[in-house]
Amino acid sequence: MTTATNVRKKPAAWQRLLRNPSGFIGLIIIAVFVVVALLAAFGISPYPPAEQHVRDRLTGPSSSYLLGTDLFGRDLASRLMEGARNSLYVALLSVLLASVLGISLGLVAGYLGHWADNLIMRIMDVFFAFPALLLALLVITVLGAGLNNTVLAIGIVYTPIFARVARGPVLAVKEMEFVQAGRSLGANPLRLILKHILPNILAPLLVQISLALSWSLLTEAGLSFLGLGVQPPAASWGVMLSESRGIAERAPWLMFFPGAAIALGVLGFNLLGDGLRDVLDPKARGR
Amino acid sequence: MKRFIALLGLILFFSSSLAQGTLVLARAADTTGLDPHTQTAFASFRLLELIYEPLVTLDGDLNIVPALAESWSFNDDSTVLTMNLRQGVTFHDGSPFTSADVKASFERILNEETGAASRANFTSIESIDTPDDYTAVFNLNTPDVPLLAAMASVGAAIVSDEFIAGGEDFAAKAIGTGPFILDQWTPEEVTTLRANTDWWGEGPYVDGIEMRVIPDETSIVAALRAGQIDFALLNDPIAATLLIGDSSVQLNQVPALAYHVLQLNASREPMDKLEVRQAISCAIDRQEVLDTASLGYGEVTGPLTIPAFKVPNDELFCYSKDVDKAKELLAQAGYADGLSLKAIVASAEPPTALSEAQSIQAQLAEVGIDLEIESLELSVYIDRWLAADFDTAVALNGGRPDPYTMYVRYFTKDGNLLKVSNYVDDTLDSLMAEGRAESDPAQRLEIFTQFQKHLTEMSPWVWLYHDFEYTAQQPYVSGFVPNPTDSLYSLSQVKLEGKE
Amino acid sequence: MFAYLVRRILSFIPTLLGVSLLVFVAIRLVPGDAITATLGTEAGMLTDVQRQALERYYGLDKPGWQQYFVWLGEALKGNLGFSIRHGKAVISLILERFPLTLELALFAMVIALVIGIPIGLLSAIKQNSIFDILGRFIALAGLAMPNFLVGTLIIFALSVYFRILPNAGDYTDFATNPLKNLQQLFFPAFTLGFAFSASVMRMTRSSMLEVLNEDYVRTARSKGLANRRIINKHALRNALIPVITLIGVEMGYLLGGAFIVEQIFALPGLGRLTINAVSQREYALVQGASLFIALNIVVVNLLVDLLYATLDPRISYDDSN
Repeated sequence: MTTATNVRKKPAAWQRLLRNPSGFIGLIIIAVFVVVALLAAFGISPYPPAEQHVRDRLTGPSSSYLLGTDLFGRDLASRLMEGARNSLYVALLSVLLASVLGISLGLVAGYLGHWADNLIMRIMDVFFAFPALLLALLVITVLGAGLNNTVLAIGIVYTPIFARVARGPVLAVKEMEFVQAGRSLGANPLRLILKHILPNILAPLLVQISLALSWSLLTEAGLSFLGLGVQPPAASWGVMLSESRGIAERAPWLMFFPGAAIALGVLGFNLLGDGLRDVLDPKARGR
Repeated sequence: MKRFIALLGLILFFSSSLAQGTLVLARAADTTGLDPHTQTAFASFRLLELIYEPLVTLDGDLNIVPALAESWSFNDDSTVLTMNLRQGVTFHDGSPFTSADVKASFERILNEETGAASRANFTSIESIDTPDDYTAVFNLNTPDVPLLAAMASVGAAIVSDEFIAGGEDFAAKAIGTGPFILDQWTPEEVTTLRANTDWWGEGPYVDGIEMRVIPDETSIVAALRAGQIDFALLNDPIAATLLIGDSSVQLNQVPALAYHVLQLNASREPMDKLEVRQAISCAIDRQEVLDTASLGYGEVTGPLTIPAFKVPNDELFCYSKDVDKAKELLAQAGYADGLSLKAIVASAEPPTALSEAQSIQAQLAEVGIDLEIESLELSVYIDRWLAADFDTAVALNGGRPDPYTMYVRYFTKDGNLLKVSNYVDDTLDSLMAEGRAESDPAQRLEIFTQFQKHLTEMSPWVWLYHDFEYTAQQPYVSGFVPNPTDSLYSLSQVKLEGKE
Repeated sequence: MFAYLVRRILSFIPTLLGVSLLVFVAIRLVPGDAITATLGTEAGMLTDVQRQALERYYGLDKPGWQQYFVWLGEALKGNLGFSIRHGKAVISLILERFPLTLELALFAMVIALVIGIPIGLLSAIKQNSIFDILGRFIALAGLAMPNFLVGTLIIFALSVYFRILPNAGDYTDFATNPLKNLQQLFFPAFTLGFAFSASVMRMTRSSMLEVLNEDYVRTARSKGLANRRIINKHALRNALIPVITLIGVEMGYLLGGAFIVEQIFALPGLGRLTINAVSQREYALVQGASLFIALNIVVVNLLVDLLYATLDPRISYDDSN
């Protein structure tokens, strides 16, 4: 089935993604954020993000401070750039963790079957039966707050979803002739999985990944609300937004811009996910 | 027009009026338990001080005034305290209040099995005599003037001796002598109180109090504005001060006894060096911390926040920021190239803690001190604080009406929390001992002025500022007197005239 | 069918055991105990004798593994322990909070469906029209804002512009005063439902598009059957099947309590009970509540699977499968 589609010389998936309106807008938004985050990572921003200009505290957007300043007179624009860096760091790394861990577990469970399948999926069930916020809260209270512990907490929360997404298709694919044939020829099971099974389940996984990225932004914001976000003076969008709750009436820009950043980020990943679904899902093609 | 009616309908649908005669009060934190002797949380005191009464209490200017005791006197060397008790007082169950209850209550506090943290304030009590029903005599093993101020707390409330003897569960039943009687406590939701019509004082003038928990202070402010509650306790200065200039709601503020402080752990390198501690003190502009963390609503303070014992800030060590001096001190200590420290901060207790830490962090960076902030969940923070497992700690420590009781735990040689403060010297210890035995106010002021000057110069901690205790009320609420200890005892005098 | 049901219910056992063990270990790994949580820094004033007395009072004087088996033994008998702070049995606390949580979840779900399904259907039928784009955008906006932001904005707008606020810490249950109860639940339910409506909308839209492209619908269309009838008769039912799975998953989570929304709107639900128990180090309550929440989630999942099977003839849970 893969060979058949390739013969017709359809445009490559990424080209189709660019032609898909959702995918295109999503990609643009994400690309802008990635660029902003990279700038921040290289220290390029109007001001150092943690620099306090106490005399100018709580001033609205102006020519010297494009998006205004916070309680300490820190430049909001620079802080948002730094926030982009940390929020994307958390989102990307936590989803990477969840997907690598979850997919491996799902593949192994699906491929080996029997008791291994049972054991792995039972453990995943345990995590599934947990409210996400409570699970993340417990992980962070045990480990302490911080950028990497946030990554770990969110990563653990989303692992079972990936395990489930990966396992189902493996069960189907492994019964297919070419995999069965490889097995009987004594091919290395790991190679079989990687070479044949993984490409076949890539489509649903990519969609899942882009959705998980958007949840991850929201989960991070939720954890920040509980006071369990990244540590100051570093900031993430979630921390900035939850800190703004009390002060927003005096300084609405402190709520508006981080809120808009999170909303756009979530929107971007969602649109990208929609686009990927349209492009990669064989049933959806040609719409 | 149609739209207007629809909008009006919507507003009517979602609005409702309050029950008359009952004071509806909201706050973010709830009582943690009903036993007055074992409770330490301020949130618990706010409920219990309406139900239980101590022998003496504090007025709005922190004077010790009668409660269950009508008058009292010390003997000449302050080793015997005689209390003349109020007559005709009854507990909520109708039984009379007598000296036997006083004796039993203090013995309960002193009994280690009770687990009363306030016991430490009363260990000078050797025995209690009850020559008659309305006289209680405290025999002390050492002169103890501050004992009286320590008694002015619901932690030293008088409970019924029959209850103690009968093994009643104080965690389940609250029977006191106070102006209000507990009807029901539903934790984290609502507590209902009804007026004690047999109360010995004038009042109460309301039928009861409905004390609600609204966990989010922004929502409390919203409820006040919407007229859904009569009265509120507010903790977060940023939320509270939103009501300044709001004509429909009245904000009460009174300078707090509690103080914001950066505690340095002098048992750890490099804070074991005096110069390093002093450098940190000189590097911090306290006003800037106050301006950023609490929007300037407060006052820079030395160790003592009690108005009668305040020392002008310019007489205290390095109370104006001096970066050069700080750098010089660091160089003397061998840290010319700077140093790295960590600060533990409870993530929302007080709500300003993280902001204070960030202001301090930025200021210390100017003198080459790199401060890493560790924000912790409250109980984790307390665990590490009690174990002195920190370099520095941003804290809001509760104040006491007497300087001795306020710092005996930290800065005396056998202070219970010396393991947390980790600093004491002979000067501090002897000044505290003198202050405890001295009964002349002028002499005491002199002693505790010296104490504060020495303490700030030794800089085991960097005292920052105190802010306000905030309460807010609807304009029709009258008679409440804000108290620096945040006490709600004066709710017994509150009237709701003109409430719709 | 019966055997399937039994198998599924039996599979709850390891899951619930796993949850209880995990929570038991995690909550004890967190520094601080009920004594420091209750006494705060004053806990440092306790003498050794005082501390031991309190440890006995809070049941902290036994080794951890022993506490677990004691707890498990009692739990099997239906006794989830006692909350000292609340002065009540854990199970009765949970059951007191559950009706609110359930009602809030259902209310939120209704709002999500009322917003999500029509927009999703119309979006699919009028694919790529202005309506499609606008509808999708509104639904996505709900998804894209963290719910504490939506909640905060709602409360601010209500109190400042309209001077009303139904949620002032006086939650009233439905039986006592249905009108007041609905007023109090409307905004929190909207906050939750608005966020979820985006997922409903997208799932409805994409499965509707899929169904509209199925051969039988195309055939029906080519036969000249009226569009409305086709949509009503064939497409709608099939298109809504995947939405049910989605609802099931979300319902499971909402029944675990929506802590943030409960916190902002001062509702005494299961989420606040659980999270407060964590910060108060009320071990028995944390264990009991998370076990109950886990049970909700697995039961809802089972119900969804069963419903799925009844609606979709292609799936069967026969014993032969």
